[in-house]
Amino acid sequence: MKTLIQLTVNGEPVEAAVDANRTLLQFLREDLELTGAKHGCGLGDCGACTVILDGKPVNSCLVLAVQANGRSVLTIEGLAENGKLHPIQQAFVDKGAIQCGFCTPGMILSAKALLDTNTKPTEIEIRTAISGNLCRCTGYQKIVQAIQDAAEAMTGKEGS
Amino acid sequence: MLLPRFEYHEPTTLEDALNLLHELGGNARVLAGGTDLLVKMKRKLEKPSHVISVARVPGMDQIIPRNGHAVTIGAGVTAAELARNELVMDRFTPLAIAAGKLGAPPIRNRASIGGNLANARPAADFPPPCMVLNATLKLKSAKGERDIPVNDFFRGPGETVIEPNELLVSLHIETPPPWSGGSYIKLGARKAMEISMVNVAAMITLQSADGPIVDVRIALGAVAPTPVRALAAEDLLVGAIPSEELFRKAGEIGVGMCSPITDHRGTMEYRCMMIEVLTKRCLTEALARAKAWKP
Ligand SMILES: Cc1cc2nc3c(=O)[nH]c(=O)nc-3n(C[C@H](O)[C@H](O)[C@H](O)COP(=O)(O)OP(=O)(O)OC[C@H]3O[C@@H](n4cnc5c(N)ncnc54)[C@H](O)[C@@H]3O)c2cc1C
Ligand code: FES
Ligand code: FES
Repeated sequence: MKTLIQLTVNGEPVEAAVDANRTLLQFLREDLELTGAKHGCGLGDCGACTVILDGKPVNSCLVLAVQANGRSVLTIEGLAENGKLHPIQQAFVDKGAIQCGFCTPGMILSAKALLDTNTKPTEIEIRTAISGNLCRCTGYQKIVQAIQDAAEAMTGKEGS
Repeated sequence: MLLPRFEYHEPTTLEDALNLLHELGGNARVLAGGTDLLVKMKRKLEKPSHVISVARVPGMDQIIPRNGHAVTIGAGVTAAELARNELVMDRFTPLAIAAGKLGAPPIRNRASIGGNLANARPAADFPPPCMVLNATLKLKSAKGERDIPVNDFFRGPGETVIEPNELLVSLHIETPPPWSGGSYIKLGARKAMEISMVNVAAMITLQSADGPIVDVRIALGAVAPTPVRALAAEDLLVGAIPSEELFRKAGEIGVGMCSPITDHRGTMEYRCMMIEVLTKRCLTEALARAKAWKP
């Protein structure tokens, strides 16, 4: 039996009928064709599937699509505005914080959730914020630097 | 990894949730954050025909202060919420510290305290803090309710006193008396996303800033089939003037309470040494907070 759900995805209202056993990750990737969130472990360990649900990063492989009913989801596809990369995305590109890119959407969304509440995070706070996101290409150093740069770019922009 | 099929229910009142549990009982599982249940279902360790989400049951996600005397914590309150709650950090410190060490941020945003207790993993982060804080758990069913001291709640790995038709609704914790302080230490192989090898919670109450210990509780996790209170170590400490030597002895006694195993996370010998050292360290931290107690 399918359940009708209504939610907001990247600012757009979405309505769909989904099976109860469909994860939010499957729903985003297969039904909405938003393939930015990646399917890694499927068990909450790797963070490749991280999306922002009602302002908070979650592992979308461990959330049912029906649980997102009435809620707001932000995926990596919703970050750029008018074709311009979000400052965190830009910093990842500039710093070479992307190698294969598989962890990148999750990393960037975890970083965004951090910078949304903490504009001047310490290195430890950054490392904690991305501690649920694994990078097999071992690019953590560049990733941390990119988030530091993004934080500066974003507060700089606010000040001006 | 695919989830098996099931029927999904999302009651919006406590009454509806309890009635559903009453009707479906053993065929249903309660879903809170899903960080244990959905993993188990994906691994085909659990295959409930009904899943009852309690996310929209009012009050389950609330932390309610009771006039300074106590706090009521809804079973659905997340680790993230507990870690950043000032009252919890200030008066129920071991709980806040444990909450901040569970999994990683995206897990903490979903993982509930009720799910953690009901899941009853021997190495789980919330049981030891709840034990040293003497929490009482409220279980409700369509037929009635009962209050269970957390120390009587765990039966074995994955087993608790919760009946299939019961819902864990909330935890009630009395505010520790003046000159109390607590701490929590989790030892894993790395800082994030790690199930503990040993975890220790402690609460100390002093007569005054420099007075003797009037009350103390120590709980150890991951060292036996259920989390355990180190009662003999507590007995040694009550009435004594705290000292390093005393805490070291307490740690030694603590080891005697445990039946640790050897596995890929650590050997039995290593675990025993760690129990001793971490018990002492946790007591030392608890003592520092008790001495610095403020009204
Ligand atoms: C990657 C990862 C890392 C983790 N790291 C840790 C860690 O460091 N420390 C740790 O302790 N745990 C850890 N866990 C386990 C898990 O996140 C916690 O145990 C969590 O608190 C479970 O809460 P939940 O709300 O997700 O429970 P759920 O998965 O929703 O439920 C767990 C169990 O409790 C039952 N249940 C839930 N709520 C109720 C209720 N109100 N009444 C009755 N029964 C109920 C469910 O039916 C189910 O059997 C980790 C899990 C993952 C996936
Ligand atoms: S795919 Fe969700 S955490 Fe790995
Ligand atoms: S860039 Fe390849 S996994 Fe991180």
